[in-house]
Amino acid sequence: MAEFWTAYLWPLLWIVIKILAIVVPLLLAVAYLTLAERKVLSAMQMRRGPNVVGPFGLLQPIADGMKLFFKETIIPSGANRGVFILAPMLTFSLALIAWAVIPVGAGLVLSDLNVGILYLFAISSLGVYGVLMAGWASNSKYAFLGGLRSAAQMVSYEVSMGFVIITVLLVVGSLNLSDIVMAQKGSFGMFNWFWLPLLPMAVIFFISTLAETNRHPFDLPEAEAELVSGYNVEYSAMTFALFFLGEYANMILMSAMTSILFLGGWLPPFDIAPFTWIPGPIWFALKIAFCLFIFIWVRGTFPRYRYDQLMRLGWKVFLPISLAAVVIVAGFLVTFDLVPA
Amino acid sequence: MPVAAFPDLIPAIPEIYLAVSAMILLMLGVYSTGKQTVRTVSYLSTAALFFAIPLTVMVTDGRMVTFGGLFVTDSFAVYAKILVLVSAGAAIVMAQDYLERQDIARFEFPVLVVLASLGMLMMISANDLMSLYLGLELQSLALYVIASFQRDSIRSAEAGLKYFVLGALASGILLYGMSLIYGFAGTTNFDSLAEVFKAVNGTEPHLGVIVGIVFIIAGLAFKVSAVPFHMWTPDVYEGAPTPVTALFAVAPKIAAMALFARVLVGPFGDLAGEWQQIIIFISIASMALGAFAAINQNNIKRLMAYSSIGHMGYALIGLAAAGSAVSAEVRAAGIQGLLIYLAIYMFMNIGTFACILLMRRQGRMLEGIDDLAGLSKSNPVMAMVLAVFMFSMAGIPPLAGFFGKFYIFAAAIEADLFALAIIGVLASVVAAFYYLRIIKVMYFDSSEEEFDRPVSRDMKSILVITGVVVILFFIYPDPVLNGAELATSALFPQ
Amino acid sequence: MILQAIAFWVFASITVAAAVMVISAKNPVHSVLFLILAFFNAAGLFVLLGAEFLAMILIVVYVGAVAVLFLFVVMMLDINFAELRQGFLQYLPIGLLVGLVLLVELAVVVGGWVISTDATARATAKMPAVDQVPNTDALGQLIFTHYLYLFQGAGLVLLVAMIGAIVLTHRSRPGVRKQNISDQLARDPKETIEIRKVQSGSGI
Repeated sequence: MAEFWTAYLWPLLWIVIKILAIVVPLLLAVAYLTLAERKVLSAMQMRRGPNVVGPFGLLQPIADGMKLFFKETIIPSGANRGVFILAPMLTFSLALIAWAVIPVGAGLVLSDLNVGILYLFAISSLGVYGVLMAGWASNSKYAFLGGLRSAAQMVSYEVSMGFVIITVLLVVGSLNLSDIVMAQKGSFGMFNWFWLPLLPMAVIFFISTLAETNRHPFDLPEAEAELVSGYNVEYSAMTFALFFLGEYANMILMSAMTSILFLGGWLPPFDIAPFTWIPGPIWFALKIAFCLFIFIWVRGTFPRYRYDQLMRLGWKVFLPISLAAVVIVAGFLVTFDLVPA
Repeated sequence: MPVAAFPDLIPAIPEIYLAVSAMILLMLGVYSTGKQTVRTVSYLSTAALFFAIPLTVMVTDGRMVTFGGLFVTDSFAVYAKILVLVSAGAAIVMAQDYLERQDIARFEFPVLVVLASLGMLMMISANDLMSLYLGLELQSLALYVIASFQRDSIRSAEAGLKYFVLGALASGILLYGMSLIYGFAGTTNFDSLAEVFKAVNGTEPHLGVIVGIVFIIAGLAFKVSAVPFHMWTPDVYEGAPTPVTALFAVAPKIAAMALFARVLVGPFGDLAGEWQQIIIFISIASMALGAFAAINQNNIKRLMAYSSIGHMGYALIGLAAAGSAVSAEVRAAGIQGLLIYLAIYMFMNIGTFACILLMRRQGRMLEGIDDLAGLSKSNPVMAMVLAVFMFSMAGIPPLAGFFGKFYIFAAAIEADLFALAIIGVLASVVAAFYYLRIIKVMYFDSSEEEFDRPVSRDMKSILVITGVVVILFFIYPDPVLNGAELATSALFPQ
Repeated sequence: MILQAIAFWVFASITVAAAVMVISAKNPVHSVLFLILAFFNAAGLFVLLGAEFLAMILIVVYVGAVAVLFLFVVMMLDINFAELRQGFLQYLPIGLLVGLVLLVELAVVVGGWVISTDATARATAKMPAVDQVPNTDALGQLIFTHYLYLFQGAGLVLLVAMIGAIVLTHRSRPGVRKQNISDQLARDPKETIEIRKVQSGSGI
């Protein structure tokens, strides 16, 4: 029995504890991201935003969650029940399992996968299924159109995202996320992070993440004016909440990816005393928060793209640039003999 | 980190050159907007194909293997590549007018033909089952597309789709055979395979290997449209645009036949006893079907389809002789006969299809054999040229077609395949019936209307060249004979 | 390792079950979704084999891109699949017969399978040592050196497929007005806008 405990049960329990240590803060972050979004937007629009529920409106997300939780789940009569219910669950769980490989600090990672970046890329490319399934299963033309738009959009931007990731991989020489972060460590602090040497790529990557998460200005799948909310128009209560949570968890995930690839992950901006006192996970969280702020900032600033413009940007601007960048970076590395061993 | 040395690119220069020029031509077609774009791309593609011929001859110096044993070039490859490049170039030249008249002239056509020829060169130069498959797929994929190039015509779309579905099935069978062979030998390289099978020589080869070879033969037989894998041929030939049919009838057949010879004589040379009987069977079946099924055809493209099935049957006699156990000289004679036959077949077919492309009344293409009625009066020159090609196909001396059959049958007799030779002669007697029927229609039936004129200069030159080759082959056959001999020597190293 | 064995049986049985569902599901969209499930579990099997790179590529390429487009098309198809299946029972005996013959042939071939001596040695000759190089590196070393020719050839095949798809489907419709962004940006306000002072009451 004791052997059973040490060999199987304890490792299992330990993994569950580690998972909870990642998922619980993540869900809290998602909840407060919604509040932060409303607060930041209201500040940009010179209004107060939620300020009634709790001090400074801090209990607002809890109240919203309670409301969605207690509402009735409605399944349209023409819907394809199984797929209809599966879609939000898929979206939500994909947004969570991606975190298994994100290193929040040196060695602080649930699973230090050799091909971590590919795993992230794979999981994020699966996100499109939730949307597509929801759009199809709802048996409603608005939802269907929203789903199709989103599928085309996500697939298009994944291509250039992939090439951007390849440029980073060329410089690092490893697919491991911790290795990618450590490769950005250098004597120039934050100027060693890849956002500077790979500047256009960092911008393209960030814009692609906007499209990948269906955020403004690329939120065509849920364009209110045309599609009355797009793929999730038929969803209510908990099923809707799962989509909502999934979408915001994805935003955080993409920000984490941007931080790891281009903003040095958990590394402090300068490798000197006051900065190094602050532990790595805090720096990582700050960087994620910075990216999330830009997400919201963009939403508050830019109008929505037209669909053909969106496709043009993806295929005719980003794809050639990122493809050229792969060649240029590879050529540069070979010419100056900088290829990582 | 141990990294393999950079491969020697020189043996593959013709292929690299063709790939690069296809991409440049594609760019040219996409980015230039002038009215002459299609014509320019078309001429440049032909030029690119013809320029690849001296390139091929120059780079090859004995047997050269590169890319880690995946690619080989030798005089056999050079011979087959020249035939392929000539026929592909001729197909583009013949297509230009036709495509413009049918309003489907697009610059992608010559580019796809160049890419298809690249695939054929890769097939011919394959020295590994994997490179064989890749070349085959490159070639086939481009051909599927151009088969349905006239996309508004249901027939053409059907031809492309049929070709594609059956071709995919054949590829699957081929791959299955390859995987069985790989499972047995642990290698896909032709040279290593030859060693492996040499080692097991004498003992009864294993059932899995035999099944593998049978499947590979089936896959390749599909590509040369030999019976019983010929079902697609008549429909595809009829439905595809005529210049595409002209290409189909010649270039891929030559490439696949060359590949057939290389695979069977090379890696499976020591298993000749196993595959020879299969080749004999499909050869007899093809000859018989080509002879009898063509008799009732009224559409000249369908007729040419059955005719090409029959011709592939004759060519396969050479391959069957190459599997003979008599002596190395006899085997070499079989391959040599096959190569000579392919060269002559190419000239006859290009010429015949040039004539078919000229069958046009008031801008409308005609395909019926009856439409040829009275051609001897309305256009005696064309009637005479077509008659020459038909006599040659039937194997009437002293035209070239006779010599093709002569070398093939001679090789079969040397290899003690008397029955095969006799059946071949009988089949060509039957086949002569429908070739001669065309001549009869042209010369003895009464005319309705004339065909459109004028005939373009390109077409005239193709007709003159092929006609002269077919008629005067008996005076100066040395280039083809010597070339074939040199090519054969590469497959049978002393 | 009991955990690995359990994982294997779970992945393998779900793969097979999903594959069966692909061909037996009534709704074509369900078929595609089951296909995706099968891919996903196949990737799991790759991970168990230690081929994590292949597993991820399988998901990124097949599940993330190919199957999405597939689903896209199937969702938009308006075909009554029940009607398509009407001949099914009629052809079932012939299909079963052909399948049976193939199965027997396979059984005969596999049943007496012999592998030539040192086939394994030949097959692994080019591979870098498994215990020294991670499999991502090993794949790279093989594909970009020994199999460079095949890699480039496969690229050409894909190029042809792309040209073919465009040739056969692209139609340039006349009369479509397209936005030309560079033209728009190149416009000079001085040439396109004229500012005039308008006297009140007179107009231009």
